[in-house]
Amino acid sequence: MKRRFDPLILLWIVLAAALTFLVVNPLLRLIITSLEAADTGAWTLANYVSAYGRPRYLQALYNSLMLGGAVTVLCLVFALPIAWAVSRTDMPGKGAIRLLVLGAFITPPYLGAIGWILLAGPNAGWLNRAWMGLTGATEGLFDIYSFAGLTFIIAIYSFPYLFIFTSSALDVVSSEMEDAANILGAGTIRTMARITLPMVLPAIIGGAIVTFLETIALFGSPALIAIPARFNVVTTQLLQFFSPPVRTEVAAAFAIPLLLITVLLFALQRRLISRKGFVAVTGKGGERRLIELGPWRWVMLGYAFLVLSMSVLLPYAALSQAALSRAWGRGWRLDNLTLHNFSYLLFEHATAGRSVLNSFVYAFSAACLAIFLSLAIAYIVARRLLPFAGVLGFLAMAPFVVPGIVLAIAFYAAYAPPPLALYGTGLILILAFTTRFLPIGFANASAAIRGINPEMEEAVRILGGGRLLAVRRVLAPLMKRSMIGAWLLVFIPATRELSTAMFLYGPNTRTMSVMLMDLSEEGNFENLAALGFMLLAATIVIVGVGSRLVGGDFMMRRDRS
Amino acid sequence: MPHAITRRGLGAMMGAVVAVPVIGRTAAAADTTALEAAARKEGSLTWYTAHTDGETAEQVGRAFTARYPGITVNVIRTTAQVAYQRLLQDIKNNSAQCDVFSSTDPGHDEALKARKLLAHYVPLAASVVSEPFRGVDPDGFYYATSAGLVLITYNTSKLRAEDVPKNWPDLLLPKYKDQVSVGHPAFSGYVGTWVLAMRKLYGWEYFEKLEKNKPQIGRSVNDTVTMLNSGERLVAAGPSGTTLSSADKGNPLALVYPTDGAVLLVSPSAIMANAPHPNAARLFMEFMLGEEHAKISVEKRNESLRPEVKPLAGAKPLEEAKVIRLSVAEISKGIPEVIEQWRDTFGT
Repeated sequence: MKRRFDPLILLWIVLAAALTFLVVNPLLRLIITSLEAADTGAWTLANYVSAYGRPRYLQALYNSLMLGGAVTVLCLVFALPIAWAVSRTDMPGKGAIRLLVLGAFITPPYLGAIGWILLAGPNAGWLNRAWMGLTGATEGLFDIYSFAGLTFIIAIYSFPYLFIFTSSALDVVSSEMEDAANILGAGTIRTMARITLPMVLPAIIGGAIVTFLETIALFGSPALIAIPARFNVVTTQLLQFFSPPVRTEVAAAFAIPLLLITVLLFALQRRLISRKGFVAVTGKGGERRLIELGPWRWVMLGYAFLVLSMSVLLPYAALSQAALSRAWGRGWRLDNLTLHNFSYLLFEHATAGRSVLNSFVYAFSAACLAIFLSLAIAYIVARRLLPFAGVLGFLAMAPFVVPGIVLAIAFYAAYAPPPLALYGTGLILILAFTTRFLPIGFANASAAIRGINPEMEEAVRILGGGRLLAVRRVLAPLMKRSMIGAWLLVFIPATRELSTAMFLYGPNTRTMSVMLMDLSEEGNFENLAALGFMLLAATIVIVGVGSRLVGGDFMMRRDRS
Repeated sequence: MPHAITRRGLGAMMGAVVAVPVIGRTAAAADTTALEAAARKEGSLTWYTAHTDGETAEQVGRAFTARYPGITVNVIRTTAQVAYQRLLQDIKNNSAQCDVFSSTDPGHDEALKARKLLAHYVPLAASVVSEPFRGVDPDGFYYATSAGLVLITYNTSKLRAEDVPKNWPDLLLPKYKDQVSVGHPAFSGYVGTWVLAMRKLYGWEYFEKLEKNKPQIGRSVNDTVTMLNSGERLVAAGPSGTTLSSADKGNPLALVYPTDGAVLLVSPSAIMANAPHPNAARLFMEFMLGEEHAKISVEKRNESLRPEVKPLAGAKPLEEAKVIRLSVAEISKGIPEVIEQWRDTFGT
């Protein structure tokens, strides 16, 4: 079959080497650590016994799985209707809705959780006080310190993953099949449920898996909510293994089953997807028309607005009180208003400006690296170009279930000491972020590639063009928009990444997320809230400028209707 | 691995030998000129610290450089657990990064000392600090360089004057149901030590009774400041420093020095046996025990180590308050115990 040396082999080797460096080596160290006795280094299973020998620890794992499931369901409820309405219908105000989704996505879940503590704290939360004032009730309506509260707080900041996955897939589906369904008598809802959404099922499943895994690996919000709510999840439990007596090896053992869960999820995904064809973009031109919703478009807008006010408008309103106060404990008062928190952070604070810059530089580099890698891997996997391509795919997804703090430790152990001596450099953060978010890039890239019929590339090749030409002139233009989306999907969470950075930053490489955490632990709420607003503004500007530069696509694009 | 430890043990012993001439000179004249010259050749030092917030740590670093031009301080400020975990990784990987290690948990220093990873050094200034801060480590490997109190804190605009608690058992009164805020002993050495002190004074029943009042459990001891400011809770077992800093901005917070005793926490600093900049590290230890550092501490609302530097308004000098200080041995042994008890009682 092979007539000459295929340059793709070389690419495979390069990719395999990159994945070995970024994923295999750190994870291998993790596995080895989990099987070693801490002081002697002898092989043992004792760590697994310690990690899973107590009901309390097992309960934490169970809680995490339940939390992941509940958040994923809630995210589907939030994301799918909004994505459908924005991509396929004539709902008004799409620009504003996209901007608000971006706002939700930029917000570090940690910051949002603080906003919601102010809104729904059982005694003094704004919403609860309003409720008690209106009804004369003695108890508030909401208690954010609960399993339901935590699920809600995570979901309102995680649903953008599913929104972006789904809407970028919906954007390239043509209207023909929907038209066919309409002609055969199906109504709008039925067409959406039976035709449109199933066509983008790979994207939905990819997004759901990312949401689930992101949820069980999250540290910040569970630390804020779960501990007062008196339950543990995997990440808060992991942190306890790092309290004295520190048991890294038990922590490693505790984290390993999460890897098995990823394997399972991907087997499941494969089963769900393989039975059907999901090729939506073909070489034959298709037409896209917006569905007219009539008065229902206002209902859809109302729903989108409700969800987004919960994730953006309300919490930032609560945080603005602290950001604009001299002393936020005194409440809204004229003599308490100040802009000093902002000017202090911008001009007086020794490290604030630097950490803002660091965050963006590292996130930018990590996003570029991760997208390049995941595109190449996704293409090889989807077109089955080389043997063992599936292995690359699995490796690209594996890092996601490793909680950030464990990944950080694996990285620290692997690359901080000589010969590489990356400790305290920006590079180790960039590499760790790349690894951490590679799965997002990969899931998105492979969903996008799966949706494109190979016939167009085959046409190029029949006409004498090489594969690289086909990729450059056909695939790249078709995928441009979803790749910008994927780039942002890595860039944005990297700017807000906390659990990895917490362990890897050095004297000159502190990131904004670490600083937010520091300010919170110092009880310095006024500056914390102000920094949150600066983060929001800076990211919106950067994403806006970036999107304009590459053609006004994705989040910031104008409403076309 | 065993080889590495042996080598480092040797390093520690050599460190001790090298330190002797310096101690000898103490008797003659309390002067750091020779140390300064040696430190200047090294040019910098790396300080892993959990003692203060990031800004204050940077400020201390800058003040040191201003006093000793040409010697810069790389400040790595994290929580004590992260700092310690990082140090253990450095040790495991055989890469010497840290010169001076400042945890809030003397247990860390005890563990490091037992593994012969700390350098022996007796700072010249060790004998002139206030009494409660002397002899924290009788063996002379680590020294108190920062201190704070856990005491009763409250929201002054929401709690009526007659309702302000006076001592620790007051927090158990039914009128504070759903109104108490605390941190978590597994996440904060301050909270752990406070829990230990309460157990010593009143037995574990104290916490079984406290649970009936459904306290809000955060992580850091500073989480209580946030809870009081938001009005979510009215009274707390809180820290002196952060609470006063927040009150200085105008927030409605104040301290009660409990009649049965405020819990004193001394945070130690030590020089690593394999410190890449041993002389700069020693000079930095001298600086941290000195008057200038005490002034920065007081400004930042931490306790003053030096008798001649008095606290600002809202805080009492330690001589005027009843203070509980637990020994390092009690803390090292007791904290893991109370963490387990805590989880059994509070379920988190």
